[in-house]
Amino acid sequence: MTVIEVKQLTKVFKIPKKEPGLSGAVKGLFHPQFQNKTAVNEINFQLDAGEIVGYIGVNGAGKSTTIKMLTGVLMPTSGSIEVLGRDPHKQRVDNAHDIGVVFGQRTQLWWDLALIESLNLIAKIYDVHPVKYKLMLDQFTETLELDELLKIPVRNMSLGQKMRSELAAALIHAPHVVYLDEPTIGLDLIVKERIRDFIKAQCISKEMTVILTTHDLGDIEELCQRVIIIDDGRIIYDGPIETIKKRFGKFREITFETVEDVKKLDLPNGTEMLSTDDHKVQIRFDRTVSTASKVAAAVMNQIEVRDFSLSEPELSDIVKQIYNGALEREAR
Amino acid sequence: MIRTARRNLSVYSAILAMIPKQFMAYQLWFWISLVLSVISMAILVYFWRAIYANTSTISGLAQNQTINYILLAFIFMPLTSNDLIWEFGSNLREGTIIHHLLRPINFQGMNYAQMLGGLLTRLILQIPMAVVAVFIFGLRFPTDLSTWLAFLVSALLGFTVMFFFNWFLACFTFYTTEIWGLGVLVDGMTFFLSGALVPLVMMPEWIRNIVLSIPFAQALAVPVSLLTGITPLSDAPLVWFIQVLWILGMWIISTLFFRVAVRKITVQGG
Repeated sequence: MTVIEVKQLTKVFKIPKKEPGLSGAVKGLFHPQFQNKTAVNEINFQLDAGEIVGYIGVNGAGKSTTIKMLTGVLMPTSGSIEVLGRDPHKQRVDNAHDIGVVFGQRTQLWWDLALIESLNLIAKIYDVHPVKYKLMLDQFTETLELDELLKIPVRNMSLGQKMRSELAAALIHAPHVVYLDEPTIGLDLIVKERIRDFIKAQCISKEMTVILTTHDLGDIEELCQRVIIIDDGRIIYDGPIETIKKRFGKFREITFETVEDVKKLDLPNGTEMLSTDDHKVQIRFDRTVSTASKVAAAVMNQIEVRDFSLSEPELSDIVKQIYNGALEREAR
Repeated sequence: MIRTARRNLSVYSAILAMIPKQFMAYQLWFWISLVLSVISMAILVYFWRAIYANTSTISGLAQNQTINYILLAFIFMPLTSNDLIWEFGSNLREGTIIHHLLRPINFQGMNYAQMLGGLLTRLILQIPMAVVAVFIFGLRFPTDLSTWLAFLVSALLGFTVMFFFNWFLACFTFYTTEIWGLGVLVDGMTFFLSGALVPLVMMPEWIRNIVLSIPFAQALAVPVSLLTGITPLSDAPLVWFIQVLWILGMWIISTLFFRVAVRKITVQGG
């Protein structure tokens, strides 16, 4: 069943154009000049019930603009959106009943009040049946470990505690569609893990459809089967995460810190020396050809190593690679 | 229909009930502002006693009548509070307005419930001031029930006038994003133009005309004049009628302005 359908969706912002200098500023007062910026450019996609889709792209690519239009708070310039059969902007209030939203950088909780007060009020606003509310609250308290948080004012919470509270607030009315805009931003690994587990469990048990924007590859790998990559307002990839990982995630980098100066090293197949400093060497290897232990063993046999580290490719790097035309190159 | 109305009422009263709890979050502030209020009240009373030192009536008001008016206006000052401007300002600055627009209830209704909650809380917090006014400055509350009733209706209407007027002013924050100047300006104007310092009848006619053609006085001077008997009780229906007209006018212009201003968020993305 299709839950979200986006057709030719476009958003153009009108930005005031300022000419330099005082004369420009005065001129702008009387004859304001505007220029158009296309934030989202004729995008199309469809989401089925129960899907979790990662919506990724570099900063300013148009992710948040899309999410805002999907929630109904921002009016599209052209194109159409249907969420659960409704136009979210024209039927904003009806639509609001069925969606849950987390914007990682802005809170929906009452700052000065204990969390439980906020949750009680939200349940009331969304008309959650008291019995069902109690059930949900118990469940959330357990899985998000809210026990101690319920009585604390939000202003006294740590970032991780706040985010767990935000999630509870966004999902307490069991929405059918959930938009999560960078829900793990700035969190430590343990909290991230807990939040991912929670989202996953909720999706499975409630058949929620989720759109998740993030800069964290871990979020995507843990939660999503499908990713949509947007760049400069256009969708440049829409498909299974496996494909992306196979194509772009096959390289890893190891950095070695050495005791002596690095001279020449013999390396196994599928590796490439990226850079050498006085006491540092950076090597990239293809996971399908070689392994970390092979590379490490080869290096350690030849030179005394003080320390080494392995790095995952950043999602933004992958997006950049794709944007730079890697997809087209591969197609050829 | 009835179910929807009952549901709305329960939602809005739940929102209203949040506000006292928010106030309680800052207990120290309560005690500080109590002390400050007693000092300002004393200044006002001694100021008026000094003016009456050489005369027995001013514009037909005796000293005790004027001081009664001033004390009551002081106690009911919360009727004029303009939290809405600060509320809009912080919502816009922190971007939380999006969450409010995404609630499945009427945005204006939600704010009205919040402001009403603020009013009731503030009035309850004024009780110590009322005690001070009675026992130290000789305030005499009217004992006539119909006077109180006339006052309460007028007070609620006047508060509603100010709510829509402040809603109108608050819409400017969509464009300025800076609210401190606007907030302080409106605070100051409210203090002078609501009739908190001088009874309206004492003002020169041309000033009174100006004050009555802008909304501030509707929330304080008008209902408090009913309560003190400066406006006779028989005029109450006319007073209410004028206030209802004010509400209609303010409701229309504030709603129209909001519809345009909110496009800053819904069209230009904030």
